[in-house]
Amino acid sequence: MVEFNLPANSVVKEGKSFSAPAGAKTPRKFRIYRYDPDSGENPRTDTYELDLDACGPMVLDALIKIKNEVDATLTFRRSCREGICGSCAMNIDGRNTLACLKPIEDIDGEVKIYPLPHMPVVKDLVPDLSQPYAQLASIEPWLKADSPAPPDGERLQSREERAKLDGLWECILCFSCSTACPSYWWNSDRYLGPAVLLQAYRWLADSRDEYTGERLDMLEDPFRLYRCHTIMNCTNTCPKGLNPALAITEIKKMIVERNI
Amino acid sequence: MSMQSDLGRVRGLGSAKSGSAHWWSQRVTAIANLPLGIWFILSILAGHTADYDSVRAWLGSYFHSTMMILLVISVAWHFTLGLQVVIEDYVHNRTIEITSLMLIRAAAAFLSVAAIVSVLRIVFAGA
Amino acid sequence: MTESYKIIDHNYDVVVMGAGGAGLRATLGTVEAGLKTACITKVFPTRSHTVAAQGGIGASLGNMSEDHWQWHMYDTVKGSDWLGDQDAIEYMCRNAVPAVHELEHYGMPFSRTAEGKIYQRPFGGHTRDHGKAPVERACAAADRTGHAMLHTLYQQCLKHKAEFFIEYIALDLIMDEDGSCRGLVAWNLDDGTIHRFNAKMTVLASGGYGRAFFSCTSAHTCTGDGHGMVARAGLGLQDMEFVQFHPTGIYGSGCLITEGARGEGGYLTNSEGERFMERYAPTVKDLASRDVVSRGMAQEIRDGRGVGEHGEYIHLHLEHLGSEVLWERLPGITETAKIFAGVDATREPIPVLPTVHYNMGGIPTNYKGEVLNPTADDPNRVVPGLMAAGEAACVSVHGANRLGTNSLLDLVVFGRACGLHAAEVVDPKSSFKELKASDGEIGIARFDRLRWAKGSRPTADIRLEMQRVMQGNCGVFRTAEILGEGVEKLSKTAATLPDVAVSDRSLIWNSDLVETLELENLMVCAASTMNSAEARHESRGAHAHEDYPKRDDEVWMKHTIATVAWDKGYGVDLTYRPVNTFTLTDEVEYIEPKERVY
Repeated sequence: MVEFNLPANSVVKEGKSFSAPAGAKTPRKFRIYRYDPDSGENPRTDTYELDLDACGPMVLDALIKIKNEVDATLTFRRSCREGICGSCAMNIDGRNTLACLKPIEDIDGEVKIYPLPHMPVVKDLVPDLSQPYAQLASIEPWLKADSPAPPDGERLQSREERAKLDGLWECILCFSCSTACPSYWWNSDRYLGPAVLLQAYRWLADSRDEYTGERLDMLEDPFRLYRCHTIMNCTNTCPKGLNPALAITEIKKMIVERNI
Repeated sequence: MSMQSDLGRVRGLGSAKSGSAHWWSQRVTAIANLPLGIWFILSILAGHTADYDSVRAWLGSYFHSTMMILLVISVAWHFTLGLQVVIEDYVHNRTIEITSLMLIRAAAAFLSVAAIVSVLRIVFAGA
Repeated sequence: MTESYKIIDHNYDVVVMGAGGAGLRATLGTVEAGLKTACITKVFPTRSHTVAAQGGIGASLGNMSEDHWQWHMYDTVKGSDWLGDQDAIEYMCRNAVPAVHELEHYGMPFSRTAEGKIYQRPFGGHTRDHGKAPVERACAAADRTGHAMLHTLYQQCLKHKAEFFIEYIALDLIMDEDGSCRGLVAWNLDDGTIHRFNAKMTVLASGGYGRAFFSCTSAHTCTGDGHGMVARAGLGLQDMEFVQFHPTGIYGSGCLITEGARGEGGYLTNSEGERFMERYAPTVKDLASRDVVSRGMAQEIRDGRGVGEHGEYIHLHLEHLGSEVLWERLPGITETAKIFAGVDATREPIPVLPTVHYNMGGIPTNYKGEVLNPTADDPNRVVPGLMAAGEAACVSVHGANRLGTNSLLDLVVFGRACGLHAAEVVDPKSSFKELKASDGEIGIARFDRLRWAKGSRPTADIRLEMQRVMQGNCGVFRTAEILGEGVEKLSKTAATLPDVAVSDRSLIWNSDLVETLELENLMVCAASTMNSAEARHESRGAHAHEDYPKRDDEVWMKHTIATVAWDKGYGVDLTYRPVNTFTLTDEVEYIEPKERVY
């Protein structure tokens, strides 16, 4: 059955606390999940107080400030810091989003930061995403066409056809959506999750792809596709403003369309 | 501890190539439940269920008995489909899962057939 | 306090370091050629910095108006201020058209014209018929071209079942006594193991080193790791003084606003509301090449015509384009401006500032991708077993200044060239030379030394000091005095590196140690950049020296080669190598140097 309690070695304990430097004008507390795989100890939450006057505007700026100036052991993924690489997805103030795009001022009181929910934690805010990556590979996310491409030119695609890809190809694979989906929490071993289904639809919607039928065959499954119960957490949480729920509905519509 | 590759694990047993019928039927029965439900509520409001005799008279009519049988089928079907999803979502012990799925279907089948037989009894008794 | 680490050995025909545009294209090429390839990357492939490229990829498709690869070549040579090697530039521009078609065939979601062809937009420095007017040459996928390209290449690698080693930190090259490369040593963040990759060919596609500067458009991961490894192997770095400042980084955060914004009709104004680029580049105005626009902006600010309370930035106007055009063609930057500048680009101008963006210099290679170790007698001597591509490499196609859209092109053309060359020289049937126990020791010793570093200065502290020196003393405007002071200051900062403090001793995902390893790489880049700049007494492309304001082809038409004594206080030894003043084929003639006016 579903387990509602954490196993004993996963219970989160109270950790260390670091206060703001003396004379801080706008102190703010950041409560951050910590887990050190080498120590074998239970995870904990450490509290860091920063002076926001001396910190950049985004949550990622605060994390970097903590790492640079307070506690160099704090570990998180980051790269582009402008919301296009998808590295710094985490749960901030109860919501999955990108730390680099989340302004601190949007959060009231203590800023609570946890790794993406329901994924194995490697260390601190670094989740193990190998399962969603493998699921992405499993839908064969590449152009499949048997008609030869023109030897000295591009395949043609009308503007209307190309417009169907908008809102799909922009996905940055941060997996904020999949890890916000209760259905993915309970059945991530068999359900593909919103991020991967959005990618699946990206190829179904591409006028250049010639394997629509096979792609639909592969998706038509009570778990892979139909575990989506239109809960809409995916769309609500997407830091890029995309709509995976709509893409999933479109896939379901396509399957119905070929059945009736 | 599994040492299987991630890709091997997520590909699993492959696609069942089914599920759309379930999804579609759930939507169709949901839509069907709407007019049937409205008919049922209106019938109660109209006093058809005030006492034993009026219920007999009400269900004795061709139209209302047909509607009642349709309602029973649609609701039972919808209920089975819905509960199936809940069980598949949350019950991860294979034995319990399959047993409960069979029990639910059996219960739904028994109750709906019993309800239909009851309606038919009224219909034919009145004829 | 050394300890023995768990070391795992691998044999591969080819090992590629980096999974950005160049790394993935090289991996794809070698896998397709039937070579057993390992692609080692410190981030998941789609997180590489190629993903942030916005405006487009340059190719003379001629979809919107007449264009020829010879025109593209002319613009690139002129953009490079004649420091680019014309054989390599010819190779790149000729191969641009098939390279873009290939990307489209891979499924890249380019924007389209009404005829269904790839959409192209004008870009800085790209002109029709040798400088007559701007031309539409940048093939674009809205303003997220790099994202579209990187994801497409990753998809193709998945299709071809390429083997990835993700979140592995490359430590050092394994070099033979005879000077050839044998592979590399890497650290697996996930479980803390050390891996030795024995390879017949090693390809470095590790990207640039923007993070050597305080304010840059580059990702946090752009730390010149390949540069550091090459320098520690005793090899030289080429043309490191040429650092491109992108005219339009958002004031404050440094986030990039694509040049495509000006390509679509955006323009810059100073505090008087004047379109000042008309003075600096009368013909193409805001679409002059990046060094020219950046210098124009910096000049306006220095002359007191900057915008803002302290007159420290310039305005980029897009509001006249209308919200429909912005949301269709420039949706990404409209969003970025909102988030990072708090500005609604459809209504008001965006505050921008020239920001460090690209490193023209890097690991010297020829147009096939082979790394060079030039000597006085043989300026084109090749390092056997080692290749490089992308921003990490200096082919040199960008010379003293890169044109916008030529970076994405560089990645795919030279990534592909690496694949082709590897397929030619690597025999998959030949047996592997076994690694000796001592191979890779240097890298593991470095790893162990830093892991237990107990100095007094945290990594972030030294890094910040280095970044400040680079920003202040190696910026858009350079003088002998500023650069001289920079060399001195930087060597003082570098001297404190042995005193670095690492506080995390763990092996799994020790990001403190990762940043310290990266800092050593950045210091190699910073030292070579500063010293190369100090020595170059002329102004050429991105290197604008106020004491020597003219280009001096007599003396300085040559590539700088900097060798960094990383184990002796980061002292830099400079030699020079001639520019290739010939083309690859007879189909196009060498373009003689002339004054560079836009």
